[in-house]
Amino acid sequence: MPKFTLNGQEIEAKNGQTIIQAAGDHSIEIPHYCYHQDLPIDGNCRMCLVDVEKMPKLTPACTTLVNEGMVVRSDNERVKQAVRGVLEFLLINHPVDCPVCDQAGECRLQDYYMVYGLHTSEIPLGMKVRKRKVIDLGAMVVLDQERCVLCSRCIRFFEHVTETGEMQFFGRGDHVAIGTFEDRPLDNPYSGNVVDICPVGALTSRDFRFKCRVWFLHATDSVCAGCSTGCAVRVDHRDGAIFRMIPRRNPEVNRSWLCDEGRLSFHQLNSTERIERPLLKGADGVQAPAAWEDAVRSIDAKLTEIKKASGASTILGFASPSATNEGLFLFKRYLGEQIGAVSFEFRVDSEDRRVADEEDQLLRHFDKHPNSMGAIKLGFMNDDLDGIQGAIDAARAGRIKAGVVIYFKPLVSRPSDDEAEGRILELVEELDYSVVLAAHKADWQSSADVVLPVAAWSEEDGTYTNFEGRVQLAGKAVEPGGDALPVWEVFAMLLHASGAQSPWMSAEDVFATMTEGTGVFAGINLSQTRLPGVVLA
Amino acid sequence: MTKILLVNIDKPEQASIAKYRERGGYKALEKALAMEQTAVIDEVKASGLRGRGGAGFPTGMKWSFVPRNTNKPTYLLCNADESEPGTFKDRILMERDPHALIEGMAIACYALNCHLSYIYIRGEYEFVANVQQKALDEAYEAKILGPSLMGKDYPLDIYIHLGQGAYICGEETSLIESLEGNRGYPRIKPPFPATHGFLASPTVVNNVETLAALPWIIQNGAAAYSAIGTEKSRGTKLFSVSGHVAKPGVYEVDLGYPLLDFINKDAGGIANGRKLKAVIPGGSSVPVMTAAECDGVLLDYESLLKAGSMLGSGGMIVLDDTTSMPETLSVIADFYAHESCGQCTPCREGTGWAAKILKNIVAGKGRKSDVDLLLKIADMMEGKTICPLADADVMPIRSFVTKFRSEFEALCKE
Repeated sequence: MPKFTLNGQEIEAKNGQTIIQAAGDHSIEIPHYCYHQDLPIDGNCRMCLVDVEKMPKLTPACTTLVNEGMVVRSDNERVKQAVRGVLEFLLINHPVDCPVCDQAGECRLQDYYMVYGLHTSEIPLGMKVRKRKVIDLGAMVVLDQERCVLCSRCIRFFEHVTETGEMQFFGRGDHVAIGTFEDRPLDNPYSGNVVDICPVGALTSRDFRFKCRVWFLHATDSVCAGCSTGCAVRVDHRDGAIFRMIPRRNPEVNRSWLCDEGRLSFHQLNSTERIERPLLKGADGVQAPAAWEDAVRSIDAKLTEIKKASGASTILGFASPSATNEGLFLFKRYLGEQIGAVSFEFRVDSEDRRVADEEDQLLRHFDKHPNSMGAIKLGFMNDDLDGIQGAIDAARAGRIKAGVVIYFKPLVSRPSDDEAEGRILELVEELDYSVVLAAHKADWQSSADVVLPVAAWSEEDGTYTNFEGRVQLAGKAVEPGGDALPVWEVFAMLLHASGAQSPWMSAEDVFATMTEGTGVFAGINLSQTRLPGVVLA
Repeated sequence: MTKILLVNIDKPEQASIAKYRERGGYKALEKALAMEQTAVIDEVKASGLRGRGGAGFPTGMKWSFVPRNTNKPTYLLCNADESEPGTFKDRILMERDPHALIEGMAIACYALNCHLSYIYIRGEYEFVANVQQKALDEAYEAKILGPSLMGKDYPLDIYIHLGQGAYICGEETSLIESLEGNRGYPRIKPPFPATHGFLASPTVVNNVETLAALPWIIQNGAAAYSAIGTEKSRGTKLFSVSGHVAKPGVYEVDLGYPLLDFINKDAGGIANGRKLKAVIPGGSSVPVMTAAECDGVLLDYESLLKAGSMLGSGGMIVLDDTTSMPETLSVIADFYAHESCGQCTPCREGTGWAAKILKNIVAGKGRKSDVDLLLKIADMMEGKTICPLADADVMPIRSFVTKFRSEFEALCKE
């Protein structure tokens, strides 16, 4: 572990670290464009030049390994002048079209200009090198060659991360431009990442372009609910609407990356009509809107009645692997401990049996639910029923008469989704009494006796357990529509209605209860569920 | 003056293996093969031979950086990507005496324990490559190259690789990248080619002229070679002189020979009775010298450095008093802007910007402030890039502008 001095401060570096990495670990920022902690080092931008004692020339901090006793300055006049020079070079041929550029507000050229530049341009407009603009690179990315600082992050991403090599440099000298061969679209499930890693406005998101100035957005830390991987994400939203989702770095799960399906998954939230009010089937067999109190009282009374009439073992709890740990935990507490039900399941046999199966080598898993492992850990996998078919068979045979079903449409769709909804319908139709908790309206819900509107991902705080048993916190970014409530809150109300203790005011309170005693979450602290998350024993 | 490299250059059919052998060819290789490999390296070290590509790094020392006893192969790459404006010496060697290069390479390969070697020839030298290929074919046919080097149990293959016309591929790490089939981008150093070169293996890159001097050194001994020249600049050096001299061409000169004697006597003096204005002694990338600065300067690494310029590749460009220095610099700056690979920022943007400013000045559209802007751009580029190409642009810009400033200002209106 070599020690060295950076700007007069003694710093201990890890073995094999370069100056920029060691500085970063100690929150000292050395300006850079091409360096990226999850990409191979390239050293082309020359923004990170530093002054190392006994080295005649300035040297890039990204390529220079820390040596014991090295004395480095990134803040002296010589370095500042060099950095100012590089920045001036980067700007001479840049179009400076910030007013119409989506990157404005999160652009490294703007940021560094304010710190190091503040110079007046010495190049007349007519002398600038013109390059191509608005090049369509497929469903995710739009390329503007003029804004590019040629840092090669995108090229290195496709070369070393996806190993598909779609992008390359073309030309040479100040006419070098990035692009794909003959402008071919980026047909790659991870192409959106190059928009994130582009330090300037050269690669912008086709989805997010021109939707909102970034400084109007609020950020919420979350976890992608598109599959069982559990990539750390940031949800950017404004006035109750989500505008984009970008990866947060979790070195243990997704590094800096996110798949395109996950990135766009938030659009599913409002792609079909949402359920806004609790619906209660009246004596006429028609569902009518009801107040939460009435719905909850009615459900508890009906379940108690069925329990008395035919036993608690005839009541089924069918969970969704898209519900939070907190929701599933109180679901179990109410229906299991309070009512006494013993039959629980969550598998509709879409992809939910493939929680740990990798769809590709990089991030994606086949299971398109964020919390299948949470459902398994909380005891929703039932060997006797062995999935929804067992539940349907038991209902047909009369062994199961009533059921509480939670169903969320997966945010990343697969052709098997319709089939899964068909199975849920089959189940609901077989039940004498059914309560459905869902976020989106669907025809099959008309068979249910009660339909309760619940908050979907990003509309509630909660934790998910990913494929490897890692518990991670996903924050609430926006309000659920209508009267929808988080799943945990629905069951907290049911527990209260049934006369049990129900002290929870928030998902955090529920989590605290989960971590008491000897359950699977025992001993975990909520702060551990933030980056990088905590893996269950 | 000793003739080492050019001794047979004008003799008939020197390019054929028969004539080459008749005149003593491949004897040095035979002698080297009878020596220990390390003894050959020691001999080259003792000769004081320095790299003739431009940098002037001691050849024997370069070889000794190559790790021995590694399980990776060692490669020798001959840099024949002669692209520096004003330089045309290697081409003469390959065109007229191609077997001397092959023999030199074989000696070097043996010394370095290398069994596979490439000659990287610039794309524009296709005709040169054809001559060199013919010589290689002859050497294979004569069983000099191939499974057993001159009958010794030592396989050696030499191949020619033709570049695609990029100046940057003369820089040794881009040459390696290009040879590997990649875009010709210089690599970040360290690691150096001596340990991580071609195919991540130990690699030596030597210039044609350097390698072609080896047979003579082995044949005549290090002492004979080091007896020529000055204390730190041993042996002879080729100068390709162009510009306003009466007899432009390639000359072999003992290092330490007076610059003005060379121009005025050997090269026939300034043509058409004009006066000497300036000399670019070592290829367009070295600082220009005014006529006054040439006084007393010797043609060797140290003397030229002391005079504020460099020996470089020996591509000497002589300019007479009718020459417009801004126009000359504009041509040079255009070259570097065109040849910048574009990998790192200062060179990519700086060479292009400087070239455009110079074009404006020459066209009479410059501003007085442009002259200082050129110097500022030079400061912004110098020493901040991955490879020396930016510096190769900085040196002429700074020397032309400072030494002939009034000429630039005279063209600027505002």
